[in-house]
Amino acid sequence: MTALSQAEAAEFLYREALILDRKDFDAWLDLFTPDCLYWMPAWRDDGTQTENPDRELSLIYYRGRRNLEDRVKRIRSGFSVASEVMPRVSHMVGGVLLDHADERTVKLNSSFVVHVQDVRVNRQHSYFGRYEHELTLVDGQWKISEKIIRLMNDVVPTMLDVYSI
Amino acid sequence: MSKHFALRDLVDDRPQDGVFRVNRAMFRDPELFDLEMKHVFEGGWVFVGLATQAENPHDYFTSFIGRVPIIVSRDGEGQLKCFVNSCPHKGVRLVHKVCGNARRHVCPYHGWMFDSSGANRNIKWKKGGCYSEAFDEENHDLAEVARFGEYRGLLFASLNRDVPSLEEHLGEAAKLIDLVADKAPNGLELVPGRVTFTYAANWKMQLENCSDQYHFTSTHPSYIRILEERAKEKSVEVVESSIGSADFWTEGAQGVTGGTMSFDHGHVLNWGIMPVSNAIADFERAEELAEKFGEAKRNWMFNMRNLTIFPNMQIAENASSQLRVIRPIAPNLTEMQTWCLAPRGESDEARRFRIRQYEDFFNPTGMATPDDTVCYEEAQLGMAEQERPWLQGHARGMTATVEGGNEYADLIDIKPARSVLADAQLCDESLFASYYRAWAQRMQEVLA
Repeated sequence: MTALSQAEAAEFLYREALILDRKDFDAWLDLFTPDCLYWMPAWRDDGTQTENPDRELSLIYYRGRRNLEDRVKRIRSGFSVASEVMPRVSHMVGGVLLDHADERTVKLNSSFVVHVQDVRVNRQHSYFGRYEHELTLVDGQWKISEKIIRLMNDVVPTMLDVYSI
Repeated sequence: MSKHFALRDLVDDRPQDGVFRVNRAMFRDPELFDLEMKHVFEGGWVFVGLATQAENPHDYFTSFIGRVPIIVSRDGEGQLKCFVNSCPHKGVRLVHKVCGNARRHVCPYHGWMFDSSGANRNIKWKKGGCYSEAFDEENHDLAEVARFGEYRGLLFASLNRDVPSLEEHLGEAAKLIDLVADKAPNGLELVPGRVTFTYAANWKMQLENCSDQYHFTSTHPSYIRILEERAKEKSVEVVESSIGSADFWTEGAQGVTGGTMSFDHGHVLNWGIMPVSNAIADFERAEELAEKFGEAKRNWMFNMRNLTIFPNMQIAENASSQLRVIRPIAPNLTEMQTWCLAPRGESDEARRFRIRQYEDFFNPTGMATPDDTVCYEEAQLGMAEQERPWLQGHARGMTATVEGGNEYADLIDIKPARSVLADAQLCDESLFASYYRAWAQRMQEVLA
């Protein structure tokens, strides 16, 4: 088996974006390895982000897909007012760079913009930043073993959930 | 000056009749908001930051008092000072970074220079400037704020000179700050990583929500369910939970589960009994703290405590430890600056646990706060109602309120102005009166 080409890697990210836009959460969870890292660091000051998630704060930090399942459970629970009228989202992923590729692992760097229509209050905003993906080949399928989201506009208007980044 | 607002139209405070009501206009009126900024936020003590945010000589951080930009700077001698962050020349904001270290601050516009103690050290081309003597007689230093003080590493300032001392302002509520500070024998620090969010509603929604035990089970059931499932599962993978280990919020809990305390000057506490257990990050120092402060005070340190120091600082000790600073932007827009508070030198294990609890519960990207902020916004929409203007949200606990403290307060020798001992379903709202009385006090000049 050869590593992913740049085009195949980009397609993987576009498909992940499509899944999030459609809020197809089962398909989304299925993209991750069980021991995945899902991490959105916070900003320490004007220009640097937190680096050590065990001593410094993150906006989101999970190790293990099980925690992403909790996020999805909450969104679907019917008991979260913030998830009742779901914002519509549209992901744009671009500038996909293949930073590393071998037979089992691929590292990608890309930029993203997510446009959010907050239907509840008819208000729109966007989230933008960079993704750092690590994909790992598991039983012949590429899965996300690491996803780091570097959010540039980190003053959050009201709320931010996993489908908006 | 004509007074557009009468206090009695905004706050219906008649304890003798068992009435305390707040008018919806308090949350939406733009003219009232401007008065609040001037008299509540720029007219009295507000929290500005932690001493550890500017620890070494020439360290500084920037913030706001009301609408006014400020710098807190430690000078070369180690003295903390607080200035208006505005060049006397043309008013330009002098320092733009959120924090840093600098011996000199040079205004980017015309190059006037100031040292870390705020003194003017250079006016560009002064000699050639043909200034009059009158100009030379003016003070060219950065304007120091009228009052600036520190209590246990917490910094407070007032743009108005005519205020009580900081000691008097904090009063007995200082002992609740002690509970936070004493837990950290090597001092408190802000965990690196600031989290800021906004919500489209009035600042008083956040002010009240921190002290509002009533909302927890109805606003956060989705989070509570996850806590319950995680508690059953106890796998190493899932984020563990402090709140899940306590029952002060559960419908069926028996006896006294907590209560509230109200203080002069608008400070309040709501609290709940939490067991001293490893579900709290500070457990590693539980023995040490009991030896040093006695078991009763140690147990209080482990209780759930949501403290407000009026009008803009809140410390929430429940799932983790959070410091919140409320910054009103408009009648219907508020910015929240939040940090995780932690004792210096805690173990990696305790720090990791504290942070994981924090992110899930407190962050606007987590599983609880969004359900609060969405409710604030929905409340803001409802504040437009004018036919039936009086809210009914400040009435619970009215007949349970007593003057002074109770046996739990006595354990830490604290004497609140009023207190309530509660079972899980009481969820006192009478403590909010303290906010509005302090608000009225600061606004008295402009209210009829």
